[in-house]
Amino acid sequence: MKNSDRIELMAPAGNFESLQAAITNGADSVFFGVDQLNMRARASINFTIEDLPEITKRCEERKIRTYLTLNTIIYDHDLSIIKTLLDAAKVAGITAVIAMDQAVISYARQIDMEVHISTQINITNIETVKFYALFADTMVMSRELSLRQVKKITEQVEKEQIKGPSGKLVEIEIFGHGALCMAVSGKCYLSLHSHNSSANRGACKQNCRKKYTVIDQETGFEIELDNEYMMSPEDLCTLDFLDQVIDTGIKVLKIEGRGRAPEYVAKVIKTYREAIDAYYDGSFSKEKVKNWMTELEKVYNRGFWSGYYLGQKLGEWSDIDGSKATQKKVYIGKGMHYFPKSKIAEFKIEAFDLTIGDTILITGPTTGVEEFELTEMLVNDKKLEKARKGDSCTIPVDFRIRMSDKLYKIVKNNP
Amino acid sequence: MIVVTLQRKKCIGCNYCVELAPLQFQMSKKDGKAVLIRGIEKKGFYTIKSPDETIHEVCDLAAKACPTKIISVKIV
Ligand code: SF4
Repeated sequence: MKNSDRIELMAPAGNFESLQAAITNGADSVFFGVDQLNMRARASINFTIEDLPEITKRCEERKIRTYLTLNTIIYDHDLSIIKTLLDAAKVAGITAVIAMDQAVISYARQIDMEVHISTQINITNIETVKFYALFADTMVMSRELSLRQVKKITEQVEKEQIKGPSGKLVEIEIFGHGALCMAVSGKCYLSLHSHNSSANRGACKQNCRKKYTVIDQETGFEIELDNEYMMSPEDLCTLDFLDQVIDTGIKVLKIEGRGRAPEYVAKVIKTYREAIDAYYDGSFSKEKVKNWMTELEKVYNRGFWSGYYLGQKLGEWSDIDGSKATQKKVYIGKGMHYFPKSKIAEFKIEAFDLTIGDTILITGPTTGVEEFELTEMLVNDKKLEKARKGDSCTIPVDFRIRMSDKLYKIVKNNP
Repeated sequence: MIVVTLQRKKCIGCNYCVELAPLQFQMSKKDGKAVLIRGIEKKGFYTIKSPDETIHEVCDLAAKACPTKIISVKIV
């Protein structure tokens, strides 16, 4: 639940597993896409319109705000589906829509739905904030601003009392963690030109994440690059200067990653939750930051940098294809049964093996993400140290597991 | 005979196919995805069979342009 003097921690949710992980690990709000009209159109991970009531049901119980992302370019043929979607969102009790196109903003206002302005609009100055305040209560600033610039904007909002349709001061939001775009967000056409696949219709092919060589056509000489991933930015991470981030006066911190795995959402949200709470109770320290960073490095990342927020350096490029995560998950088996009285979960081992002392991960659409160390188990009803493929094993756990749950073990990743 | 298939569910509604083959594709106002005109549905795949071989070229262009690669064109 959002405590109004604290910043809001906004989590990405690509599916029910991630949604549950966000809820359990302390998100104040979640954002998600439905069908194709959002920045992850290609992903098979989007929710459908029928999922909306279930999303609000799960979130309302914990007073978590829900934001529907509807932020692609909109064509005439989309006009009716956006109305259908927004109407359904309104009925389901979704808190707000994250929008870019004026058609979406306009219809949302007509049905009195709260509007948030998407990063696709790239707000970089106070006059633009004033303009969008006519329609929106929250707006995310361009990822290319420095914290100093963000602070000026939040101060101005306060000073000029810039209010949104709700009558409250508009809330300024920034990205806190996750992938960065090599172009100004929403203005990249690489994928469109190379694959007919428009990033601005949510179908980015991630050209910037690939290796390139540069050849002088005249001489045929290849220009030497010290990094062939010449346009793949490292991931944004603001955790180590979160105190400065909060001091800018922002109200919402958004975590990117609707395409990431549920354990990513769990880990990143849990870490930022702790860090934000530590800031407010005065215990934010270098020592803690060190531990939190180690935690963050365990899940998907292309290396971290501070983005443009600290304003000093340009372009920190990733030097790998994919992740630098220090650990990964390996599929072991699936959930079979839960005995609620004895609090025992039964799993069928379908691959590899499981040993006492392993860190295990259980994920599922209702369970979300649970990670813990395996301290005891029964294998085919006998107390054993190791369970192998084909075995049935039972583990004491104090939460319900389901048939749809998957069991993984966490191993070191040696990229 | 030309056989054109559209796997509709994965469409992102970018409109490319309609630009290239406007007599075979149109955008649905209902869900914003492409419709293969007169396509017959089977398990999410919409198919037309046409004796008119002149449609091959445009449908092939649409298939190549489609960013999600859900259009296929065959001569049988
Ligand atoms: S080109 Fe492909 S993705 Fe685009 S509208 Fe046509 S079928 Fe859909």
